[in-house]
Amino acid sequence: MGESPVLEIRELHVTFTPRGREIHAVRGVDLTIERGQTLALLGESGSGKSVTAKAVMGLLDQPGVEVRSASARLGGRDLLAMSAEERRALRGSAMTLVFQDALSALNPVLSIGDQIGELFRVHQGLSRKEARSRSVELLDLVGIPAAATRIGDYPHQFSGGMRQRILVAMAVALEPDLIIADEPTTALDVTVQAQILELIDRLRRELGTAVLLITHDLGVAAEVSDQVAVMYAGRIVESGRAEELYDRPAHPYTAALLAAVPDLDRPASELRAIPGAPPSPALTPPGCSFAPRCERASDVCTGNRPVLAPLGTGAGRYAACHHVKEMLDGAPA
Amino acid sequence: MAPPPEPAATASPTTAGPGETVLRATGLHKTYRGGMLSRGGAVRAVAGVDLELRAGETLGIVGESGCGKSTLARMLVGLERPDQGEVTFRDRPFFTRGGVPRDIRRRVQMVFQDPLTSLNPRMTVLDIVAEPLRVHRLCADARALRERVGELLSLVGLPPERMNRYPHEFSGGQRQRIGIARALATEPDVIVCDEPVSALDMSVQAQVVNLFAELQRTLGVALVFIAHDLAVVRHVSHRVAVMYLGRLAETGPAAAVYGSPAHPYTMALLSAAPAAKPRLRGRKRIMLAGDPPSPVAPPPGCRFHTRCWKATDRCAGQEPALEPVAEGGHDAACHHAERPS
Repeated sequence: MGESPVLEIRELHVTFTPRGREIHAVRGVDLTIERGQTLALLGESGSGKSVTAKAVMGLLDQPGVEVRSASARLGGRDLLAMSAEERRALRGSAMTLVFQDALSALNPVLSIGDQIGELFRVHQGLSRKEARSRSVELLDLVGIPAAATRIGDYPHQFSGGMRQRILVAMAVALEPDLIIADEPTTALDVTVQAQILELIDRLRRELGTAVLLITHDLGVAAEVSDQVAVMYAGRIVESGRAEELYDRPAHPYTAALLAAVPDLDRPASELRAIPGAPPSPALTPPGCSFAPRCERASDVCTGNRPVLAPLGTGAGRYAACHHVKEMLDGAPA
Repeated sequence: MAPPPEPAATASPTTAGPGETVLRATGLHKTYRGGMLSRGGAVRAVAGVDLELRAGETLGIVGESGCGKSTLARMLVGLERPDQGEVTFRDRPFFTRGGVPRDIRRRVQMVFQDPLTSLNPRMTVLDIVAEPLRVHRLCADARALRERVGELLSLVGLPPERMNRYPHEFSGGQRQRIGIARALATEPDVIVCDEPVSALDMSVQAQVVNLFAELQRTLGVALVFIAHDLAVVRHVSHRVAVMYLGRLAETGPAAAVYGSPAHPYTMALLSAAPAAKPRLRGRKRIMLAGDPPSPVAPPPGCRFHTRCWKATDRCAGQEPALEPVAEGGHDAACHHAERPS
């Protein structure tokens, strides 16, 4: 181990302040990702998962947004001590972002070759010709057929899956320490989704990059991640190794989600739905945010917010729930 | 907590016996001819589909984007007129010279994918749910109307006292319930649902899926349930049809199609579906190459042959017909279909 983690964030807070109101989208999130590891940040809409990703990338440094953290380190570099210029130089080279919607993430009036080549020219000062040949290599790497002839094509000439491959190519172009993939397969069909997930996983293995995967899909997270962190109402409520977390969820929310997803192999007569809807970030309940929807909620839950604490069961598992013990013992609610 | 064992025939105990056929589609074709910008390419959205929906059952339709499942849905409720072929409701044709007869419209309703764009933001929930009642003159006076709307809202699990609110005051799952209440207003025999849960959060999705199952149990309405999520479709459906590029690749009882898929495309779809089980990682999966081809220029012969690992010369030249592969109405359109021995 010895090596310091690729990404280490402590106590990340993001607050939006539209017209004097305060919306706490992220309320104290810790993230640690080791080299070559994939961490899935799992959550429903409004849970703050995408905001977390954008804050890590430094894309929220704008008026009306307040980003705070106790510490933020990327591969040994202190992100907080940096100037905006220095952070800007890291984006695209040391950490990169793969967006959900490839069509709007690519510039429609520039050819693919120009867009990928730009990375090499801006960050590494390569000439046009060199940048072009590196771009062809990259397109080969991500499995675009006849890369050399397609390099001059424009985004609209590629299919959805191919466009997503191009985004992945751009993300790995400068061999970053960290790739943040924000719902990279949500817009894709099932058969194409499997291809892209495999591609990201292969590149992670071959290049040793760390991956932060943002997703709402329990299946997608299970397919590629080593570690999973479950977010609810701006906080991580449970984290741990994927197998353990799926096998023995320690937080009622995780357990409820797993029970609410239909199983392809074992269809049940009725899905165990979670009552109610996720709280709006502008109006989260006091105490445990999940308490109003939780079947185990008791008085202590509505009054006292549980902290994310390590579990006795195994290394690296955390959960924020007053009823963790009953959860792990499998006691009926 | 332990789910009951197989089979999947979930939703209703009055399961797909040989119920009477309520909706039948024969030889449906729909081609969208493009405007000036499409360079003459006509999109063949649906190219020869036959379907049958029996009373009280759920027929699931799965397929990837562009396979024509939404176009098919719109033809099944009469929102779109097929170029060829016919849809009949209890053996009466949908598309007559005067349009779809009003009483058939009343009996076949639709629930849309996006509950925000399918509800008029300037109408109250009362007006939204009352509109079909007014159009079909199902309530005598304003009081009866309000009562009926309240009834419908309770039926879908919404508090009736909120009927004077507007759609934006409800959450995504509640909006979808409003859409369902509107569809139920005319006491339909058939509801066609086009991706009714895919815009919802996963914790809310289960609520709406359960609601459909319950409504079917209590009201006996037949459902056409269109979705791209294979697990959801398996969960709600008695029978399943798999679509690929405008045609049916496979159809049959849900347990048979999912348990022993006959068409290579069905196998690939099932194998590609992500499973919420980290322990299954690294299992052998069928990886299809490339994307589905464009419906503007579907490949000749079998439409799937360009991505199929079983494809032979015959597949490129000759289009396979939908033929039985097993008992119980399990059909597949493939020259190399797996047949349970």
